[in-house]
This record gives sequence, C-alpha cells and structure tokens, in this order.
Amino acid sequence: MTTINLAHLTELQAINKKLASGYHISEQDTTLWQQLDQNIDAYQALFSALGHDLHHDARGFYYLASDESTPNMGKISRAIALTVFILIEHFANQGKDPLRAIFDETADLELMQTLVQLNKHLFDQLEIFSGSDLRKDVYLRMVRLGLARETEQGFMHLAPLYRYIDALMEVNEENFDGLEEEL
Amino acid sequence: MIPAKKVLNTLNEHWSVLELLFKRFKMTDFSVKDVQNIIKHKNPQWTSERIFRETNRLLNQEIIIPLAKSSQLEINRAVADFASFLLQEEHLGLAQEITVLVNDLERLGNRLEQAADEGDHSELRRFSRIMDERVRKIIKLFIHNENAIFNIVEQAKSDSSAISLQKRYRAVIEAFDEYIEPMLEMVDIRGEFHACFNIIETQLSQQIDNIELYGRGTQDKRMLEQLRTRILDMHLIGRESLRKSADMLMPLREELRRNSLITRQASKVLGMIRKNGVDRMLSPVQPEFVSDIQRFSLGQQRHMVAYMAGLAEFEHEEYQLPDQNDVPDYQSPHIPDYSEVKKRFSGTEKTKKALLGFLTNEYPKLEADELLFLYQKLVSDDALDLQQDQQRVTVTIAEQDFSLYPFNASTKIEHANDNN
Repeated sequence: MTTINLAHLTELQAINKKLASGYHISEQDTTLWQQLDQNIDAYQALFSALGHDLHHDARGFYYLASDESTPNMGKISRAIALTVFILIEHFANQGKDPLRAIFDETADLELMQTLVQLNKHLFDQLEIFSGSDLRKDVYLRMVRLGLARETEQGFMHLAPLYRYIDALMEVNEENFDGLEEEL
Repeated sequence: MIPAKKVLNTLNEHWSVLELLFKRFKMTDFSVKDVQNIIKHKNPQWTSERIFRETNRLLNQEIIIPLAKSSQLEINRAVADFASFLLQEEHLGLAQEITVLVNDLERLGNRLEQAADEGDHSELRRFSRIMDERVRKIIKLFIHNENAIFNIVEQAKSDSSAISLQKRYRAVIEAFDEYIEPMLEMVDIRGEFHACFNIIETQLSQQIDNIELYGRGTQDKRMLEQLRTRILDMHLIGRESLRKSADMLMPLREELRRNSLITRQASKVLGMIRKNGVDRMLSPVQPEFVSDIQRFSLGQQRHMVAYMAGLAEFEHEEYQLPDQNDVPDYQSPHIPDYSEVKKRFSGTEKTKKALLGFLTNEYPKLEADELLFLYQKLVSDDALDLQQDQQRVTVTIAEQDFSLYPFNASTKIEHANDNN
C-alpha cells in the first residue's frame, strides 16, 4: 500500500490541472516532471483513486491514459495523427532519417504549407485548407496537449509524439482486412 | 637503402604535415603544390626555399612517392599503414583475409607434425616460427578490424541528418554483412575455425608429449608451448573482438531497421488512408486524450454504459400505502409555526402567566380552535413549567366562551433560576 503524503506533492494542483486537460508532461516542464518522477507511486495511487490512469512512458513523459475521447477531441487527435504520418513520409521522401528529423527539425509555416499542398485531398477531409489552418488547428493544439513546443522559427515536436508513432506501428494487416470487409 | 633513423627523424619533424596529408587525401593522390601548401600552412615563417628543400627531403626519403607515369604523388604505403595504425584510422579488412590465414595455419600445423615425425628439428623450428607469425598477424587483424568498426560506428552516429539514412548506414550494413556475420559463423563453436584450432592444439600437445617422452629436442618444447598458448589466446581475442564489434554495430542496425520500418509503415498507412478516408482509417488507432469536458459529460460511450448499467439495476421499493396513523392531522394554514410561538413566549416576562391570555394577546387574528390547538401544544410541552389553576374559570377566546381550569406557565430554566 502506497502511503500518500500530500505535503510532498507540492505541484499536485498544477499537475492535475495540466493532466486533466489532456496535457502530456514531458521533460521540458522541468518542475512538474521532476516532481512526478520523484513521487510517481504516490501520484499514480492518487490519480487512480480519482478514476484516472496516470501513465508513465519510459521515453520521458506522463499522461492520463484513456480509451476513448469525445468526438471533438477525437477529431483533433485524427488531425494530429495524419500530420505526424505525413511528416514521416515527407522526411523519408527527402532522404532524411524520419525519426531523427521529426524531433530535430523545426516545423515552420513553409513546411506546413508544403505538407498541406502535397496532401491536399487528405487535409481537405479534416477541413484544413492551408498552412496557417494547419498551424492553427493542429500545431497550436499540439502545444496545448504538450506534444509540441513553440519556438521562434516554428514548432518543435516533443517526446509524447511517440504515442502517434506507436499508433502508426499498430496499424497492421488485420485491422486493414477488417476494414476491407466492412467496405 | 635509406637509413631507418633518418626516415624516423623526418617523420618526427614533419608529422603534423603528414598527418594532414593523410587525413585530407586519405588514399588518393596529390600534387607537389599541395605538399608545399601544407608545409607552408604548418610553418608559416619558413621561406619558400626552405619549403622546397623540405619537400624534396620527403620525396628523397620515399616518404611520399610519385605515382607511376604521373606527376602526382602519394604517401608511401608503408608509411600510410603506420600512420593509419597510429591514428587509429583503420579501414575494415576482409573476413577472407582471416580465413586464409587460419587455413594456412592448418596447413602449417600438418607440416609441423610431419617434420616432427621425421625428427627434423630445424624444419620443426622453422614451421613453428612461421605459425607464430601467422597467429600474430591474425590477432593484429582482429584488433585492426575492431578499431575500424568503431570508426564506422562513430561516423554513422555523428553524421548530420541531412544525408539519407541508407547512405549514412551503408558502411554499417556492409560491415555487418561482410565481416561480422561470416566471422561469427567461423568462430562459432561448431564452425571450421574451432575445428581447425582443435586439430592444431592436439597436434601441438602431441609434439610436446613426445618431446617429454623421448627427451629429444627439449629446447623446442618451450617454443611449442608458447605457440599453443598463443593460438588459444588468439581464439579468445578473436571471439572477444567480434563480440564487441557486433555489440557496437547491432544498435545501429536495429535503428536502421526500425527507421525503415516506420517509413514503410507510414507510406502504407497513408496509402490506406487515401483509399479509405481519414476518419474511417484513423478512428480505431488514434491515441485518446482525457479532458475536463469529457469527464463531466455523458458524451463518452463508457459513460453511457455506466449510466445504462445504473438504470438496469434500478428497482422499485415496494410502495406502502399510508394507513390512518400516518396521515398528519389537518392543520389550518393560519396557525403560525409552533417553534415561533414558543420563542415568542419565552421572550416575554419571566413570571408565570396565563397561557390563554398570552395567546389571545399575541395572535388576535386566530380563530378559537386554532388558539386552542396552540394552547394544547404549549401545555404538553416539557420545556415549560406549568401550573394549573384550582378554580374553574370562564374565558372568552375569539368571541367564544370556554370554562376550564387554565394553565399558567413560564420557561423551565427561568423558573430554576428564580429558585436559586
């Protein structure tokens, strides 16, 4: 049984506020991250008592796992997923190492415009029609969810993006076959 | 023949120049001008005459030599090898090199046995010496290749991400496929390498036993023992070195494999999305988020499920019809709240007084039955100190005449205080 000493959990309020809004706490949020890192057992016990599933990913981030989202959040998540997959393909087409490029390179407006132009019919389905739409609808939301960080030149992707890469790897032939049958 | 010491002196003096030449041109050729430039760069205060002289010195001592039928120059192979050894800038050798040497070792082992059988001690010594040299060479190759692999790994890791993945890791993949894998196969416990060493080892042990037995050629015994030890040691070094090299290369190979897997997967999934539509394709796989809004609404499926489960478990409590006792008596809406009345009563003077008088004064608008109801309530209240009159009195309440033994009362606590 974990004993929870609330006096130690000094950042509880801030952490709860961030996590409950869907934010991913990664190493860039130094204070919160350290706090979670040091008292992970207590926080986990506390959040599971509140009906949440506080998840620690070894690649350096914490989030509240959930098995479904509201239609609106689902739409946002789909847009992010599509953007990430297209980014990977884009970097690979340029002959870069996609995993490295995605975390090293800044996504600026120019890149966003290129992405939207090259994949117009896909982004159209999500009502994203231009680079600035992509910035507004996807990247600013990614910042709010802790998936990216805004810099002077554009946006840097953060470690929680691995959730999407995992999701990408999960799509396999079986899912695909299932879809085919549905069609 | 150039005296070795002279060459060494020149090497020592011009090491910085040679190092730069070696690093800049690797194995390709260069012109006299290049050499002079580098000398000038390293020794800016030298006159052009001195630079010319020093260049000639390098040429004369064959440290740099002209290419055949050309005015271009190259570094003497022997010097280049030495430099590459010193700088650890080694290039990966071939697995076949080692294989050939090991096979040769086997052949020499047979010759050695033959010589021993014939009792030819000078031959025995000669083969033993050659084998010794071969073993040293193999060890050198192992170490050399290990360094080379280290260099390859470092380079692959440090390269800028600008060049393509395939290009960056080509050397790694090549090193793995062309050196590590065949070598691992060879050193494998059931591989030819191992078998060959077993044979050589038994042969040598046999020779040593024979020498001990017959006492002939005792001076060779030590040499053979040393050779045997060296071979065993070589085997060990080889395994160690290969294991280390594989350990260095493995993560990069994995990374490459994972990266190309991700790329492949991304194009596959995007292809599927193009065919099937974004929402249909991504909905089952996208990561989900928690947000405040969804926690407090009935929007999610699991909320609905929980709600429906709650409904399914709902049961009526058996509805009980009220019986006569449960029905509260009719109470006129004009009657004020009893606690209000009591408060008002205790708020008045502390001496005993007629309850009916108090009620008629305080609530002049009430009907007689309503006043009597309140009177009855006050009389049955434990908190009041009551006293009943001895005489029958007729009182008029709300224009009705009543004759009764009226009660006088005061609040109990007050009364207790009076006694004190």
